[in-house]
Amino acid sequence: MNWVSENIALIGTLVLLGANILLLFPSTGRKSGIPGFLLLPVTLAALGWVFLQPTGDLVRDILFYMAAGTAVLGGLLMTTQRNPVYAALWFAVATLGVCGLFVINSAPFLAAVTIIVYAGAIVVTFVFVIMLAQQEQGSGYDRIPQQPFLATVLGCLLVGTMLLGIEKTFGPDSSRLSVDRTALHVSSLSVENDLGSPGGVGRSLFTDYLFAVELAGTVLLVATIGAIAIAPRRPQGSL
Amino acid sequence: MSPDPSHYLVVGALLFGLGAIGFLTRRNLILMMLSSEMMLHGVSVNLTAFSQYHGQHDGQALTIFVLTIAACEAGLSLAIILALYQRTRSLDIRLWTTLGEEELMPPMADSASREIEPQAEPLPKLVPAGRRPVIGADGHVVTPVLSNSQVSGKGAKA
Repeated sequence: MNWVSENIALIGTLVLLGANILLLFPSTGRKSGIPGFLLLPVTLAALGWVFLQPTGDLVRDILFYMAAGTAVLGGLLMTTQRNPVYAALWFAVATLGVCGLFVINSAPFLAAVTIIVYAGAIVVTFVFVIMLAQQEQGSGYDRIPQQPFLATVLGCLLVGTMLLGIEKTFGPDSSRLSVDRTALHVSSLSVENDLGSPGGVGRSLFTDYLFAVELAGTVLLVATIGAIAIAPRRPQGSL
Repeated sequence: MSPDPSHYLVVGALLFGLGAIGFLTRRNLILMMLSSEMMLHGVSVNLTAFSQYHGQHDGQALTIFVLTIAACEAGLSLAIILALYQRTRSLDIRLWTTLGEEELMPPMADSASREIEPQAEPLPKLVPAGRRPVIGADGHVVTPVLSNSQVSGKGAKA
């Protein structure tokens, strides 16, 4: 009981998140997801209030809340949206939020690459395939989710354990942060002008990870050949 | 910028959890793949946060590898999904709980009964040979009358 009362905020927020996901899920008995949408800002605000206390740097806080809110909102709606095309577009929105987080984490090159690869290639390909394989409006397997209650409970438990671990490691009670912060501040200052630039990332890729880069290129080549080999053909042999 | 990465770890954990929930609940093959990409996003956020925290490039280099593998995965999975769609005209995951071919999979009841009563060895069958008989209008086999010259001509051809 002591443990529950200590972590009441975490448990309450997780229950709120799970309830919101369940409300957002399309179900046969309920016509609209309006209660879920109304609960959405409350959930996001609760998540921010409990886990993401502002650090005091106003500009950074505003940017962070915008990016993180976009990412989590896009993830929530992608998980629960019944129309597959809308779900793919919400995934693109979540990708934009994640790229905002990359920029705040001083990785502008990665943000640009992620936008190009995800929003430009992967989401477009997914939408293409969705349209190729589109059934009549609203097929049954999109409308009825599979074990929504069990999956939501399981996912919230997973998130809860991760958040608990983060809180134990980085929370105000932990002793290691104060030690680490000074040492890390120095190290991050020394390379700050280089961190995240294309030159710096390229130097890291082509020195420390050269072998892995070659392997990744081989994997890309094999995946391309495999995709062409697997892709279904018409009887006359064209793709 | 704060060096404290816990905020990013929280966002990464939330994205990963949402992706996991989507992967478990979605019945559309394409959206299951999208949910797994969402889980990869959560991991990427964590990696860049640690890269910033330690002031080193390793996290960002690893994120580029994550991106590469995600692109490979998307291409291959979409090819497989299209091939599966061509067979069943549906993207429902429940149709593909067993990916084996139907004629190769012995059904459960069949294998149970086989243990009790072993099947007899199948008898050898004759291979059909020769000319296909022509059946006339009255239902009898019309045997063409072979003259000596035709038989000898065939033998000469062969």
